[in-house]
Amino acid sequence: MSENPTPPDTNVDIDTDSIIDSFPRPDVSRNSDYIETIELPARAAKTVSTSDVLRPTLADPYPFDLFSHQAEALTALKAGDNVAVTTSTSSGKTHIYGLQIARNLLDAGVLNPDGTRATEQNETSTTLCVYPMKALTKDQHESLTTLYDDLGLDIRVQIYDGDTTGNRREIRERADVILTNFAGLNIYLEHHDKWSRFYSALDLVAIDESHTYTGIEGMHVAWILRRLKRVVDYWGGDPQYVLTSATIGNPKSHSEELIDEPVTVIDDDGSPHGPRDVVLWNPPPRDRTNDPTPGEASFDIEDDIEGASPDTDGERISERVPASVEAPKVFDHLTSNDIRTLLFCDSRKLTELSIQRADEHRRNNPRAYGRTTTTDREAYNAGLGRTTRHSREHRFKTGLLTGLATTSALELGIDIGSLDATVLMGYPGQRQSFWQRIGRAGREASRSLAVLVGDHRTLDQYVIDHPEYLLENDVEDAVVDTSNNAVFAMHVLAASDEIALDETDVGTFAEEDRLRAAVKMWREAGFIDGYLDAATHYAGPSRPQTRINLYGTDDTEYRLTLASDVDRDKWGLSDGLDVEPIDRTRAYRDYHEGAVRLHEGQQFEVVSVDEDRPQPIVELKPVDCNYYTRTQSKVNVLDAVSEKSREVNGFTLHFGRGTVLVHYHAYDQLYIGNGDPKRQAIPTGLPPILMDTQLCWVEVPEVVEDALVRKYSEYGVETGVDPEDADIAHLGYVAGLHAAEHATIQTAPLELRVDKNDLGGLATLVMDTHYSHPEYDDIADSISDSFEAATHALQQRTHELTGRTSSGWFIYDGIDGGLGFAHAIYDNFEALAERARDQLRDCRCGQPNGCPACTFDENCGNDNMPLLRASAIDVLDQLLGEDNHDALREYLPDEDYGGDRRPVVFYS
Amino acid sequence: MAADDSVGMVTLPATTLERVPQSAVSDVIQYFAPDIVTVPGPRNARAHAAVRDAAPATPVVHPQLGQDADRVQHYRYAADAGVHEAPNVAPPAETIDIVAVQSRDVLPQLHSELTTGERQTGSGAATFLVIPSVSVEWDPTNLTTTLPSGEELAAISVTLPEPVTVFAGGQPADYHHEWELPYKHTTVRVPIAGLGATERGDSQFAQYTCTSQGDVAAQAVSPSQFGLRALNGVGRATAKRLQKRGCRTMDDVRNLAVTELAQLPGIGRSTAEKIHAHADVVESGDPLVLTNKTPVKTRDDRPPLCLDIETDGLSPTIIWQFGVYDPATDQYQAFVEKRHPKNPKPVLEAFITWLVANHSDRTVITWNGYGFDYLYITEFLEQYLPEYTTAWDDIWTYDLYKWAVRDGNALLPGRTNKLDHVARALGYESAGTGLTGAQTAAAYQEFMRNPDRPHSEPEWDRHEAYCEDDCRALWHVYEAITDAPRRDTTDSGSGGAAGQQAGLTDF
Repeated sequence: MSENPTPPDTNVDIDTDSIIDSFPRPDVSRNSDYIETIELPARAAKTVSTSDVLRPTLADPYPFDLFSHQAEALTALKAGDNVAVTTSTSSGKTHIYGLQIARNLLDAGVLNPDGTRATEQNETSTTLCVYPMKALTKDQHESLTTLYDDLGLDIRVQIYDGDTTGNRREIRERADVILTNFAGLNIYLEHHDKWSRFYSALDLVAIDESHTYTGIEGMHVAWILRRLKRVVDYWGGDPQYVLTSATIGNPKSHSEELIDEPVTVIDDDGSPHGPRDVVLWNPPPRDRTNDPTPGEASFDIEDDIEGASPDTDGERISERVPASVEAPKVFDHLTSNDIRTLLFCDSRKLTELSIQRADEHRRNNPRAYGRTTTTDREAYNAGLGRTTRHSREHRFKTGLLTGLATTSALELGIDIGSLDATVLMGYPGQRQSFWQRIGRAGREASRSLAVLVGDHRTLDQYVIDHPEYLLENDVEDAVVDTSNNAVFAMHVLAASDEIALDETDVGTFAEEDRLRAAVKMWREAGFIDGYLDAATHYAGPSRPQTRINLYGTDDTEYRLTLASDVDRDKWGLSDGLDVEPIDRTRAYRDYHEGAVRLHEGQQFEVVSVDEDRPQPIVELKPVDCNYYTRTQSKVNVLDAVSEKSREVNGFTLHFGRGTVLVHYHAYDQLYIGNGDPKRQAIPTGLPPILMDTQLCWVEVPEVVEDALVRKYSEYGVETGVDPEDADIAHLGYVAGLHAAEHATIQTAPLELRVDKNDLGGLATLVMDTHYSHPEYDDIADSISDSFEAATHALQQRTHELTGRTSSGWFIYDGIDGGLGFAHAIYDNFEALAERARDQLRDCRCGQPNGCPACTFDENCGNDNMPLLRASAIDVLDQLLGEDNHDALREYLPDEDYGGDRRPVVFYS
Repeated sequence: MAADDSVGMVTLPATTLERVPQSAVSDVIQYFAPDIVTVPGPRNARAHAAVRDAAPATPVVHPQLGQDADRVQHYRYAADAGVHEAPNVAPPAETIDIVAVQSRDVLPQLHSELTTGERQTGSGAATFLVIPSVSVEWDPTNLTTTLPSGEELAAISVTLPEPVTVFAGGQPADYHHEWELPYKHTTVRVPIAGLGATERGDSQFAQYTCTSQGDVAAQAVSPSQFGLRALNGVGRATAKRLQKRGCRTMDDVRNLAVTELAQLPGIGRSTAEKIHAHADVVESGDPLVLTNKTPVKTRDDRPPLCLDIETDGLSPTIIWQFGVYDPATDQYQAFVEKRHPKNPKPVLEAFITWLVANHSDRTVITWNGYGFDYLYITEFLEQYLPEYTTAWDDIWTYDLYKWAVRDGNALLPGRTNKLDHVARALGYESAGTGLTGAQTAAAYQEFMRNPDRPHSEPEWDRHEAYCEDDCRALWHVYEAITDAPRRDTTDSGSGGAAGQQAGLTDF
C-alpha cells in the first residue's frame, strides 16, 4: 500500500488450470472434486489529474495521476475533516498523508515554494505517524523519504521508537514528521515536556493500518489517543487525524471510537488490479491405515494420501489431511514454478515447519521439480529478531527469495515488492483477514492466484462448501470497546501522571460518572492524590505507563535465553537468540519445561523456566529431535456473577463476570512428519492461570433437560468416550451440551469479529456450583495453586447445595479482564445458535459424536469427549423455538420428576 | 522525637524483616530512635523476636502473636515518660493512645470495651488504632473500593471524643487517605494511614511522626539503606560476603583494612576504598568528596542561591511557592500564591521577574532540581510566560543532589538521599515544622478546592517556614560538601591527586 503502483517487474500471467494440473499427485486436477476455482474480475483504475487537487509545487513533480480515492481524501483533509481511508493494499494510502504533510509544511512556511527549508527550526507544523509494527515503520519511513526526494522537498522524517539509537533529543526538537508505534507513544507521553515543540505544532496524526486496533489492543490504543489529545491540547496543538485501514465492516464507527472525533470515510477504491483466481483447495481424506508407523518413518514426510480414493457424495469423511501438511506442498509447487508466493500460517511455529515440509515435498518429487537445493524460501514472523526479519523482507523484494511462509505479520502493508500468489493455510477466521491476505498478490494488469487450503474443521469446511459466504458478504466489524473499566482505569493513572486530571477532563477525556468513580477508586486505593475539583495527581509507584501492556493485561514478560551450558559455537549461535520476550500465557502454553519449539529452522527445547525474579527467564537449548510438542489445557469456571439476563424460549441467558482457571497441565510429543503422537500427557508441573473475565452462559429449562436426559439415556460409547466411562449418568444429554458449546464457539466468528481462540467454554450439569454464592466465600480466593483444589471445592459445594440446579454451558473471553466478546455473544445469541444448529445438522460426517468439521475443537480440554450431535441439535432447536415442548412430551416422565442425582462433570 | 506532643513510630513489616540481616534492624532502630515500633503483616514470631532483640527498651507492637486475652495491645504516650503499656486506669486527657488489635475480628470487642468504658483513652489527644493486616481492596472492573471493617472503624471513631487515626498494616507506608465511611445514615471521616506490609513486593521500612491532633507524617525508607547495604558500593551479594567474613556492622567494616576488603570476590581496590570511606563518613557524620570536580560554577565569588519550590502534587498544576535563600546576604525571599490557587501565572511571574531583574548573573542550586524543580519551572514558563524562557535558560543552574549522589562525586552520611535526612546527618538543626512534602501539597490541594472557605486556608507561616527550612538545609549541605575533605579514590595510589585539589580555590 505504500507507494503508488510500481510497474510490474515481469508480466507473468498465471495460468491457474495448468498449475493445478501439474501438481504432482494423480488425484489433483482442475476437475477434481476437491478443487474449485472462482475467477474474480479485474478492476480498472479511476484517476484524477493531480493538478486538479494539488498546487503546482506538488502536482508538477508528482509522477502519477491521483487515484480517485486519494483525490477525495486530500480534498476532505483540506476541508478540515478527519479522514479514514479504507481501500485495498497498494492503493497509495501512504501518499495521502504524505502529500497532506507536504501541503501543511508549505502552508506553514516551513518550506519555501521551491521545496527548500525556509527555517531551520520548525515551530509551526509537525506530524505524528503511528504504525502497528516496527517493521512497517521502517518500511514507511523509506516510502515517505522516497516521496519527498521525488518531489524535491526537504522534509525531516524520523523514526522514534525502541530501536532508535543516536540523538533522540535532536529528533524530538527538529523532526517535521515522527514515526512511531503505540506501545512507544504510551511511554513517551510521560515526559511530554520534552516534546513541547513537537506537540505544540502538531497538525496531523496519521494512524496506519488502523483496522489492526481491535480487541484489547484497540481498547488501549483508543485510550492512548485520548491521553495524547490531552497532552497535545496542553501544549496548544490541534491536530487533524487520518486513518488508513484495510476494508472493515464499520470503518466510520471504528475510527470514531478510536479517536473520539467525527470522521469522513473514503472507501471508493480508485486503484486497479488484474483478474484474480481464488482456488478453494480441500485436502483429500486421510486414510489412516496407510499412515506410516510413526516410530519408523517419523521424520520423513510421506505423501500418505497417495492413492487414496476420492470421496464421493455421502461418504463419511472422518478426517482429512491437515492444511498444515497440504498447504506447504501447494506453496512448494508454486514457488518451484518460480511464482512469487506468500504462504500464510496460523502460528510462528508453522511458518518454520512449513519451510521444512515444502523442502521435503520438493525432495520427494524430483521429477516435477528437479533436484534443486537452493534455499529460495524462508519463514517470516514477528518472533524473529529485527535484523533477520529485515533481511528476509529485502531478499524477497529483490527476488533472491521466491517464497515466504509468514504469520499475519505480512498481512499488513510492508513493502516486499509485488508477488503473484498467496496460499492460505486454512481459512483465517475472518473475511476481513481473508481479503487482506489474498490482496497481497497481484499487479495492475496481470492475473494473480490465491489458494485457500481448507482445514478439516467447522469454519473451513463451511467456507469451502459455501463460497458465497466469502464472496457475497460484507467483511466483519472491528471491535473497540472503550467501556472496559479495567483498561480505562489503567489509563486514568497514566493520564493523571502526565497532566493532573481536573474538571476540564470531564466529558472530554471520559464521561463524568465514570471519571469520578475511577479517580475515587484510585484515591482510596492510594494511587492518586487530590480531587477533580482542584487537581488529581498520580501518587503510586513511578511510571504507571510501563504497566500498560497493549497486547494483554498480564504484563509479566518472559525473556528467552540460551542455557548457559550450550556450546554456542557448535550450534552456530554465537550471537545468542534474536527473539522477542513473551507474556505469561504464551510462556505457559508454549514454553513450559520440555516444550520443543522451532526457531529459524532450529529446534530448541525448554530446559528451565525461572519465574522467581522480576523478569522471568526461559532457558532453551538447541536440539535435533523428530517431534514437536503440543500443550493440553484444562479449564474451569468459578464464582460467576450474573450482571444481566434474559429469557429465550424458556432458556435463561446470562452475561456476567467470573474467574476462569486455565491449567496447561500436560503436553504431547508429536512426530513432525505426520503429527501422530509419540508420547502423550506428560505433566508440565505448572500452576493454573486465573483470569477474572467476562462470561455469557445459558441455562436449559427443566422440562427440556428432563426430556432429553431420558431421550438420550441409552447413549454411551457413541459419544466418543471409552467403554469404561460410558455409564456416567446423563451422558447422552451432557454430551449434547458439550457439542452445543463447541459449535456456538466455533461459529461465533461467522457472526462477530472474534477469534475463536480468544473464547473458551464449559458445559456442565451443575451450573449453580460455578456461580458465586452469598453464603460461601469465592472459591477463587481460597484455592491458590491447584486445579484439583478448585475441582474438589466445586464437588463439595455441589453436595452441599440443595434444591434444583440447572444444566447449560458457559462461553468466556479468554483474556484477563475480558474483551467484550462474551457480551456480544449474549446480545447475538440466537443468530449464533442458529448457525451452530445448522452446522451440526448439515455436517456429512455421519458420526454421532461429530467430527472436526462440526463438533471437535482443537482447544478442547477433554480431548473432544463426550460429544453428541443429536442431543445438541435438540437443545438448540428448543432454544430457537423451532421445536415446541410437544416434541419432548413422549420422553417426559408421568409424574413430577425429581431428577436423579447429577454427577459433577464439566467439559471444556 | 522533635516535638513533645508527638510520638515517633517506626514500622518494620514482618515480610521485610525476613529478608534483612539483624544488623540492619539494629541500625534502623538506632538511626530513628523511635518511641514505639510496629511489626505489621502476618503473624511472625521470628520477626517479632528480631525487633525485640534490636530494641529491648522500646515497645514492639505485634498483637498477631497474642493469645485469647491479649488480642488488644494498648500503649500510651506521655511527654515525660515516653510510650508504655497502658495500665487499666483512666489516663490524663492529653495522653496519646496507640491501640493495636490482633485482627479485624477484634474490632467489635474493642468497640464494646470503649463504649462501656472498660477500656479508656485520653480524650484530649489522638488515638491511633493499629490493624496489622488490613488493606484496601479495589475492583477496577467496577471502579469500586472496599475498606474491610469500615463500619466498625466508623463506630469506634464516633465513640471516642478525640481524633482517631487508623493504621492499616497492608497499605503502603506513604498511604494516607481520609475515608468517608457510612455510619448510621450518615458518614464519618476517618483518616487511614498505611504501615507498609503490602503484598506487592515493595514493602519498606518507614518512620512516622504521630501528633496529638491525629496527623501522621510518614517517610518510607528502603531497607537497603540500613546495615551494610547502606554503604555505597555494597549490594545484596557483597553484603552477604561481608557477613560471611564476619563483618556485621559498619563499625566492623571500618575496622577492616582496605586491602582485606579488596580481597573479597567482586570487590576491586577502588570499590573497597569507597566502601571503607563511606563507613567512615556514616560513622563520623562528615561528608567526603571523591573527585576533583566542583559541584557548581559561579560567575563571581558570590555563593549560589538556594532554591526550593512547592507544588500541589507530583504532576503540578501550580508552583505555589518559590523559596530562595541568598547566603551572600543571609536573606530569604518567598513567593507564595495565596489568592488564586488555580492561576499559576502571577506567582510565577513574580518569581521570574525578581530573579531575572536582581540575580541574572547568579548561580542557582537545588536538591534534585533536574528531576523536579527546574523541570517544572521550565515547563510552566513555556506554558505561561514563554517570553522569559531564554532569560531563565541563561541563568546557571546546578543540582547538588545529582552532583553528589547520582554522579557519585561525594559520600554523604544520610540514610536516604532526601534533603532533610542528608542535612540532619550533617548536623543541620531543622526548624521542626513537622511537615512533609506530601502534607504541604495536600494542604494546598485542600485550599485549591475551597479557596474561599477560611478553614481550608493553609497555615501560611508554617508552610513558608517549611520551604525556607529546605533552602537553608540545602545551603548547609552545600557548605558541608565544599568544606569536606577530598579523596580522589580513582587516583589513589598513583600519587597524582594532590595537585588537582586546586579545584578547591574555585569556591
